[in-house]
Amino acid sequence: MAERGGERGGERGGFGRGFGRGGRGDRGGRRGGRRGPRQEEEKWVPVTKLGRLVKEGRINKIEEIYLHSLPVKEHQIVETIVPGLKDEVMKITPVQKQTRAGQRTRFKAFVVVGDGDGHVGLGVKCAKEVATAIRGAIILAKLSVVPVRRGYWGNKIGPPHTVPCKVTGKCGSVTVRMVPAPRGSGIVAARVPKKVLQFAGIEDVFTSSRGSTKTLGNFVKATFDCLMKTYGFLTPEFWTQTNFSMTPFQQFTDLLGKPTKGLVLEAPTETVEA
Amino acid sequence: MAAAAGGGAVRALSQKEQDIQMMLAADVHLGTKNCDFQMERYVFKRRTDGIYIINLGKTWEKLQLAARVIVAIENPQDIIVQSARPYGQRAVLKFAQYTGAHAIAGRHTPGTFTNQLQTSFSEPRLLILTDPRTDHQPIKESALGNIPTIAFCDTDSPMRYVDIGIPANNKGRNSIGCLFWLLARMVLQMRGTILPGHKWEVMVDLFFYRDPEEAKEQEGEAAVAPEFAAITDYQGADQWGGDQWTSDVPVPPVAPIGADWGAAPAPVPTGDGWDQAGAPVPVDGTVPPVIAPTGWDQAPQPTAQGWE
Repeated sequence: MAERGGERGGERGGFGRGFGRGGRGDRGGRRGGRRGPRQEEEKWVPVTKLGRLVKEGRINKIEEIYLHSLPVKEHQIVETIVPGLKDEVMKITPVQKQTRAGQRTRFKAFVVVGDGDGHVGLGVKCAKEVATAIRGAIILAKLSVVPVRRGYWGNKIGPPHTVPCKVTGKCGSVTVRMVPAPRGSGIVAARVPKKVLQFAGIEDVFTSSRGSTKTLGNFVKATFDCLMKTYGFLTPEFWTQTNFSMTPFQQFTDLLGKPTKGLVLEAPTETVEA
Repeated sequence: MAAAAGGGAVRALSQKEQDIQMMLAADVHLGTKNCDFQMERYVFKRRTDGIYIINLGKTWEKLQLAARVIVAIENPQDIIVQSARPYGQRAVLKFAQYTGAHAIAGRHTPGTFTNQLQTSFSEPRLLILTDPRTDHQPIKESALGNIPTIAFCDTDSPMRYVDIGIPANNKGRNSIGCLFWLLARMVLQMRGTILPGHKWEVMVDLFFYRDPEEAKEQEGEAAVAPEFAAITDYQGADQWGGDQWTSDVPVPPVAPIGADWGAAPAPVPTGDGWDQAGAPVPVDGTVPPVIAPTGWDQAPQPTAQGWE
């Protein structure tokens, strides 16, 4: 047991050296597709109806997807509609499982994705290799992109810059509370939520957190949850009656009715035989 | 309303009343001994033996509502009709055939509506089910995919995630067939394919579930009839008649006959024990191929005797 403890400490030290730098100060690290061959990304063959509509350019804003609560299953949808998405790896932790032949180590990657103008996404992925985990986490982050509502602290001059009201989000024991701040305050938050809020496009905010914020996973999920709630808060602007519109599936039913050609070319994706 | 019409009807029944009579005959109104609280509004009364009686007028109204929703979907291929239960499978297939929808009979593979990597992945606009309890898996998945659901709900059916529940008996074979037949007819009427008030030439019986043995018997009887009609053809085409009888499945009605009557090949050639009118021609043919040519020589004679 003592040996194992020593081993683990050693491993952690090693990883800390290797990835601590990457986790904290890595700004220019991973952007878009750099290592893989260029052709793979352009050959997206959509599998879902929404994917087809996005590829054809019938859906231009992600807000149309949010309006009808359509589940987004292909990350290329988000990539196409929200072009300015930047991603950042928040942390890579090694997690271990005990087997009778030693420990089985996997790497858990936390990635935050955002365009700095009202859209954030958070992805968590665990995989046997770091690169796979990061790639997977980026994809999951893009799938989970949500809109962030921004408002004013006081006078409604200029674009919205802060949270519209006091909101709080919780994950595990960590609660994060965001309070509107006057222009010029900047993001008053710890390093981790500050990153998330910058990606969201919030310029000024006061935050307060509670619980075990050391657990980065829960801390980051709590701020994400908090940001999701900004659009869940009913304010008088939403008191007017909603004018329901046709879902894109109904609107473009003729287009979707046409059979797709070339669906047999499925080299990049793995198909699961039902 | 149905009672009044049946009792003192000197005038002809309206189509709605006829439908309700048909539903009564098919036992659509019989629920179960338990009642879900959300189904209470459709229940008329509880019988002395504990069975809840469903108000068929409301069933008819809900059928109309469901039909309107179905008609509102521009592309009928986007509708999926499903039944895991055997009693509903034939009805579901026929319904899909006449309305242009897509039928899934038998097991619903989990992930059909949610797993985009599956080959059977589909994103329907509407889902029609025979029983929310046995078809609970598609209900769960449609909830994840924003798919509205219509289901035939019995008095004890859970209504969670069911958007339009049609109160009806979904346990009996005639009941399920009747309901799908009515729904199909309503849809076709609303689309304008059938004129309202006219009888639909497709029979309700087509939607009823048949046991495999029953199916064979029926096909046996049905095939003997076309045989008689086609005899003139055979007499004229003796040359290729031999070929036809040697191969196992040239004409569809022949195959099941071969299966049924293969059990009694021996007494056949002589015609013993069989009525002259009914037996000789098809039975001779299905006797082992060796006898076929000789059988054909004999064939024209017995038929001549039998038919005159």
